[in-house]
Amino acid sequence: MDDRKIQIFLDSMLPLLKAGVAFTIPLAVVSFILGLLLAVLTALIRLSPWTLPKLIARFYVWIIRGTPLLVQLFIIFYGLPAVGIILDPFIAATIGFTLSVGAYSSEIVRAAILSIHKGQWEAAFSVGMTRGQALRRVILPQAARVSVPPLSNSFISLVKDTSLAATITYVEIFKTAQQITATTYEPLLLYCEAALFYLLFCSVLSVLQNHLEKRLDRYSAR
Amino acid sequence: MIEIRDLHKSFGPLQVLKGVDLTVEHGKVLVIIGPSGSGKTTLLRCFNLLEQPDQGSLALADLKLNFTASGKIPQRSILALRQRTGMVFQSYNLFPHMTALGNVMEGQVTVQKRPKEEARKRGMELLAKVGLADKVDAYPHQLSGGQQQRVAIARAMAVEPEVLLFDEPTSALDPELVGEVLKVIKQLAAEGMTMVIVTHEMKFAADVADQIILMDDGVILEQGTPAEVLEHTTNPRALQFLNRISGEDI
Ligand SMILES: Nc1ncnc2c1ncn2[C@@H]1O[C@H](COP(=O)(O)OP(=O)(O)OP(=O)(O)O)[C@@H](O)[C@H]1O
Ligand SMILES: [Mg+2]
Repeated sequence: MDDRKIQIFLDSMLPLLKAGVAFTIPLAVVSFILGLLLAVLTALIRLSPWTLPKLIARFYVWIIRGTPLLVQLFIIFYGLPAVGIILDPFIAATIGFTLSVGAYSSEIVRAAILSIHKGQWEAAFSVGMTRGQALRRVILPQAARVSVPPLSNSFISLVKDTSLAATITYVEIFKTAQQITATTYEPLLLYCEAALFYLLFCSVLSVLQNHLEKRLDRYSAR
Repeated sequence: MIEIRDLHKSFGPLQVLKGVDLTVEHGKVLVIIGPSGSGKTTLLRCFNLLEQPDQGSLALADLKLNFTASGKIPQRSILALRQRTGMVFQSYNLFPHMTALGNVMEGQVTVQKRPKEEARKRGMELLAKVGLADKVDAYPHQLSGGQQQRVAIARAMAVEPEVLLFDEPTSALDPELVGEVLKVIKQLAAEGMTMVIVTHEMKFAADVADQIILMDDGVILEQGTPAEVLEHTTNPRALQFLNRISGEDI
């Protein structure tokens, strides 16, 4: 590596870090939280006895899982203006990623709820709880523990997937790397540097996941 | 206190209860025995509507419910019945994410809306009563089976039920742990708790029961005092069951 490259590498660090902290992370965090709420709602509807809402929930999961995320983002950002809905890139990306997390994670949440032994429901019912109380106090806390590893996986995937938002003009890490490449003509260097930042963020998340699992493990022998 | 009339229950084509009538008097202990698959668990679960009967009626004091195959029991009645009964399961079913005290407080706080402090106080008293004053902060996985089952009894008692239901409370336990659980149940009986107990422990049954029911194939084969059912029955099927059980047990 010559001095010029080293200089470009160092000069790019701050812009990339800023893009990560100010754009990639907020997009990932907001989408994940909203997506998780949507996932729990979808899972609960799919486990409910209501026929029509169940059908709608299944339809939603089917559409989102059966079409590429990139295409969904393009529909939301470039397609919707044709019907008069113009969204800012952050909002468009948040909608796209929230819908995606909601669909995929609803399967995780549903499986986690189903994995809780039915004796837990019965014990809750036997002290007089309603379904809602049993769910809130007994089932979901246990399901949450079961779903931490797969949901952490989803979150890490999401952090990487946010790079797709570059295609709808959202200036996150990858878009920033593209912009710097355009002026420095060092694609190999810049894209590797961008990759390093994703690796850094995802590694931090893995550590946090371990901590969370340990904390939640205080009540189980596993 | 509890009156069950003409109770029927099927799972699909399988008729499990074929017309059961029984009465439990206030402060008395009813023990249900019978061969595997005879419908004991199903009958017990009808007491708090974990299974909904297809036909017949159930009355707990002033709360009267009639069952039909199509008729839905109002949610309000189901909840009322469950708040007035407590159940102890064969596999304990403690809430694993709560401490022993948390388990005993849960129904009081969530269902009965008692203030936390009051629930804690009652929880401590109950755990002391079942001999676990030193385990209030332990999680279920840190307790032995016998200790877990005693927490489960305290949990069931916490909401002040009018009747306690036990489904083979000791059959998941190592033999050396059975005694500590039976002792607690006997103590409750001595204090005048109304109880319905499904068990295979015949000596315990003879000891604790005011009345014994012997179920077979979805009907009551024999019913009476322990002496009447265990010693003086002349019903051949009942004798067959009792002989087999005593061969295993004693
Ligand atoms: N949810 C269910 N669905 C279908 N069949 C069931 C269900 N619950 C119980 N049964 C059947 O009903 C019959 C009676 O079961 P039950 O559990 O009441 O018997 P039991 O007398 O408690 O037996 P055990 O002594 O083995 O516990 C059995 O044939 C059982 O397979
Ligand atoms: Mg049984």
